[in-house]
Amino acid sequence: MNDAVQIYVAHPDDSVATIFGDPIVAGEDVEIGIPDGRSVTVSAHADVARGHKIAIHQIPQGTRVLKYGHVIGRATHDIAAGEHVHVHNVESERGRGDLAVEKP
Amino acid sequence: MTTNDTFLGYQRADDSIGIRNHLLILSSTLYANGVCERVAGTVRDAVTLVHPLGRAQVKPDLRVTFKTLVGHGCHPNAGAVLIVDHFQEQGCSAEEIAHEISKTGKPVEVVNIRAAGGVINATADGTRAAVTMARRLSGQVREPVPMGRLCLGLNCGTSDTTSGPASNSALGVASDRLVEAGGRSVLAELPELMGAEDVLCAHASNEVVGRQIIDAIAAMERRALESGEDIRGSQPTGDNILGGLSTIEEKSLGGALKAGRAPIVGVIDYAESVGKDPGVYLMSTPGHGGESITGIAAGGAQLLVFSTGGGHAIAHPLMPTIKVTGNAESYAAMSDTIELDVSGVLGGTMDLDEAGTLIYDEIRAVASGRRTLCELLREETGFAIHRVGMSL
Repeated sequence: MNDAVQIYVAHPDDSVATIFGDPIVAGEDVEIGIPDGRSVTVSAHADVARGHKIAIHQIPQGTRVLKYGHVIGRATHDIAAGEHVHVHNVESERGRGDLAVEKP
Repeated sequence: MTTNDTFLGYQRADDSIGIRNHLLILSSTLYANGVCERVAGTVRDAVTLVHPLGRAQVKPDLRVTFKTLVGHGCHPNAGAVLIVDHFQEQGCSAEEIAHEISKTGKPVEVVNIRAAGGVINATADGTRAAVTMARRLSGQVREPVPMGRLCLGLNCGTSDTTSGPASNSALGVASDRLVEAGGRSVLAELPELMGAEDVLCAHASNEVVGRQIIDAIAAMERRALESGEDIRGSQPTGDNILGGLSTIEEKSLGGALKAGRAPIVGVIDYAESVGKDPGVYLMSTPGHGGESITGIAAGGAQLLVFSTGGGHAIAHPLMPTIKVTGNAESYAAMSDTIELDVSGVLGGTMDLDEAGTLIYDEIRAVASGRRTLCELLREETGFAIHRVGMSL
């Protein structure tokens, strides 16, 4: 059988890895295996709960965040490698009725 | 005796195959719900569908209500139907519903509360009719039928980040296997496919279907945009966000995996009958779990597999609803109502093919008569008819 998936990366182009093993502790070095065989080590900036995501590499504000090889949103802040990636620093581009409202 | 390619089902007069042999007590309107519940509570093998609609709705919604009720009356798991009405509806009366259901060749009776002389008489008349129909139904036996006669609903709820790589992917393997055997699967919950259009279109059987997929998802998104608000919190939901899903696109890309790699051969409306050709069908339903599985049931899916991250108690009263999770903690917390645990996919003890086989085997067993946990617990909250308009 395979080893348990601790850190999951869906696609080689992804910006983020999902934590399925033990939660990440701030300051921890996290080794991330990329599906194309590469390995990247990042330093965790904060605690990251199981099921949540960390950045594999730097993601500048306004650029697209990729998971499954597709766009899942845009960074609302500069995101450093090893940062927790979630609703506080990534926003969706779909269903944005708030943006569709005409401004006076 | 079944092989891997067959299950044991009930042959219906319209050539459909049921996996249950229920007497359906169908309410045509809110005020008939009490009589329906009393009759169904008395008569063994009766299942009731009650709702607050069928009256004083804007016409587009009334048509959806009518279509959904007819779809459930025609459903192959209902061997016979008793419809209960209040006084006189229009556009969704018991007579109009009965007329459509009778085209399937199954027995249909109507009880009208006003005509019966009140709820007590209506309950008595309904109970007598139900006993007669249920006794006749009880004589029917299951026969071996090819797996390809199954139409499988696909749905997910309370998703988290395990859903994509574990439970949804495993369901995709099972769905592909069913389609290969000549069966059909129904994918829905269009708001939860926003962001996954490219993936779905890559599986479209032709360009026309690809265009329909994009249009259908865009139509759903327009509703969200018209609200003038960011849909985050509704999509993804609070429990999605707690579980690590950050955007609807992320949820959608994980959600689309439920449909596997088989061709998407058609795009259909809410509660529309699923086409006959093998393949995956995309039905336009909201992400709301009850409304989505209700639309799928009305389309004729005999059973549904519901993939959950955080755990779920949902089940449809007429369409057995199998639950699967890839989250070990959720399985431990909610195993009362979850049949299958595929957390081994992430835990390294199970590969996707094995997980897919686990689901496929459960589909075949449930189709042949194995009861789901929610059937045994009478946990059946998942009947909700979609509506967009106001009451009049």
